Amino acid sequence: MRVEADGTAEVTMTVNGRAVTLAVAPRTTLSDVLRDRLGLTGTHVGCEHGVCGMCTVLLDGEAVRACLLFAVQCDGVALTTVEGLGSASDQHPLQEAFAHHHALQCGFCTPGMLMSSYDLLAGGTYDEHRLPEDMSGVLCRCTGYRGVLAAVAHVARAHPDGVPPPRAAVPPALVGRSGSASVGATLASDARKSPISAPETIAIPSGPPTATVEVRSELTSPVDDVWAVLADFGRLAACLPGAEMTADLGDDRYRGRATVGLGPVSLRFEGLAHVVDHDASARRMRVLAQGTDRGGSSTQAVIRLAADPADGGGTVLWADADVHLSGRVAQFGRALAGDVSRRLFEQFATAVDEAARTGEAPAPGSGPGPVRLALVAGERGQPQLVPMRRVWGTVSTIALPPRPSMRRMSCSTAV
Amino acid sequence: MKAAPFAYHRPASVDEAVDVLAAGDAKVLAGGQSLVPVLAMRLGRPGTLVDITRLPGLDALSVSGGELRLGAAVRQRRVERSAEVADVPLIGRAMPFVGHRELRSRGTVCGSLAHADPAAELPAVAACLGATVEVTGPSGTREVAARDLVTGAMTTVVGADELITAVRFPVARAGDGFGFAEIARRHGDFALAGVAVHVVRGGAATLAAFGVSDRPVVRDVTVGHDPTEAGLRPVTDALAREVVDTAGDAHASRGYRARLLGVLAARELVRAHREAHA
Repeated sequence: MRVEADGTAEVTMTVNGRAVTLAVAPRTTLSDVLRDRLGLTGTHVGCEHGVCGMCTVLLDGEAVRACLLFAVQCDGVALTTVEGLGSASDQHPLQEAFAHHHALQCGFCTPGMLMSSYDLLAGGTYDEHRLPEDMSGVLCRCTGYRGVLAAVAHVARAHPDGVPPPRAAVPPALVGRSGSASVGATLASDARKSPISAPETIAIPSGPPTATVEVRSELTSPVDDVWAVLADFGRLAACLPGAEMTADLGDDRYRGRATVGLGPVSLRFEGLAHVVDHDASARRMRVLAQGTDRGGSSTQAVIRLAADPADGGGTVLWADADVHLSGRVAQFGRALAGDVSRRLFEQFATAVDEAARTGEAPAPGSGPGPVRLALVAGERGQPQLVPMRRVWGTVSTIALPPRPSMRRMSCSTAV
Repeated sequence: MKAAPFAYHRPASVDEAVDVLAAGDAKVLAGGQSLVPVLAMRLGRPGTLVDITRLPGLDALSVSGGELRLGAAVRQRRVERSAEVADVPLIGRAMPFVGHRELRSRGTVCGSLAHADPAAELPAVAACLGATVEVTGPSGTREVAARDLVTGAMTTVVGADELITAVRFPVARAGDGFGFAEIARRHGDFALAGVAVHVVRGGAATLAAFGVSDRPVVRDVTVGHDPTEAGLRPVTDALAREVVDTAGDAHASRGYRARLLGVLAARELVRAHREAHA
């Protein structure tokens, strides 16, 4: 069975005891179908990526996140939403207990809390001592947890042989709000969207970077050969994993793209790079880079590269970067950064060494493997004056954001 | 937060699934509890999702030949509630830490292995126990040791035209003891540091650390005859300093993660040793 991206599939589900058949596009989530097509707006949508628990419903009797299911996956399943748990005139014991224990303030999380707690009590794994952990899958932002836990514990004690099933005696009418006509139109407009245009100027955010990376690599090639690679932007770009220079705009500005792949994550950044400092005698350079992905993620970076002669005729290559992430990639971000960034710079250093040795840029495909994505959560703070780091000597200072040492990565790589 | 358009393909056989994957630009959809957030944030936009959850045979859960075998469509919550999980106690210990109930009701064990998040519990359990992963592609099915599966953060040896079809965990034997612990900021969050341990009566032990590197790190440890937490700390602290190579972040520095790992490892080794000699 196959449904094309712009097609629809007929899906039949039992919702609160009533059978419904709908045509859905593959990318339509179950939560959107419940709310927009069936009018069951008791199922709330919060984060839409499985974290907050607002959209929790029962699927074949087990609690699931309706935002993490595509409706097309749900053919043949039985769903219970909060509307099926009980009604205003015929409340489920959980609903009565929530009211009695004041287990809600604004009420936004309440449908999720109810469905999650029903699942806990019906699932046969209830343990009062583990209740806080067991109810941690739904977030409340009114700090109403105590009332929720008291209500769930109350129902557990009142029904030691198991919680009564959902009422669903008089399921509410399933009425669509927006119908299905818009699916094709939405897809068509999505397809018409022009490719994103690369920014014309590079603006580095003034706040602290999302991640700070500092890498020292020992290369076998002589320092002049290494610097020759770094000084030629076309060769340098070829050594960056997944990156490609597409145009030389003059004045040390370049247009390019970079593909980042990490498991199911695949981002394609289009952007600019600008070599703002280039000191051939000290073999140091500073590059500003900016890229935007069509999914709304963007990155800016200040990258500093330096090559120093090493004992034994080789080179010590320093690379450090302040990486700013914004958009969804930043939301997704957490501490994968260290491992991933290290790989990226290891690959870069290996490629530079290779390019310095052969005098050529690495051929596409023979060079570095897929890029690893730098994802870290950063701390927020005010910019301050700090001494420039050792790579740059101690002669001057530059305005940099604060850098708690815990956010900093430093590693040595023997290539 | 809506996924970009994709084609949905529900194959009738594993061979058909492999054909669709081999055609390119396709991802396997099993539980979807890690993949769908990536799609929702448009951090990935595969052209096709191949839904393997209804493939005949992939929902098999069985014990035979000293192994617990879980097909790729077997959901975490089913494993957690099964009688068979008693045969591999470490899975039962780890499972409550995997996300939340609402995620385990959809998430699959094999999917967690395939996603290979560095802080995920099940890849560490599989590595600790020396599980075997069955990987099917155009040229048939091959076996991969769980310890060789993960090659980096969210990266495995499974090719773009392959899928994990099953995993086999060795069944516990008399004289085995197990321990599992992790520290996360909130229950269900990704671990800042965690450890799965297996102690065999007599003192030999295997430890898998997770959340502290780009993949589970497995080490053999000797715990001796009458280990105590205090007595093991020099060993586990040194081990932690060696294996923790993740960068610090706003939540936990590298040093703090190493500290956590040293404490958790000593505690769980003692617990597992006691169990092995009970």
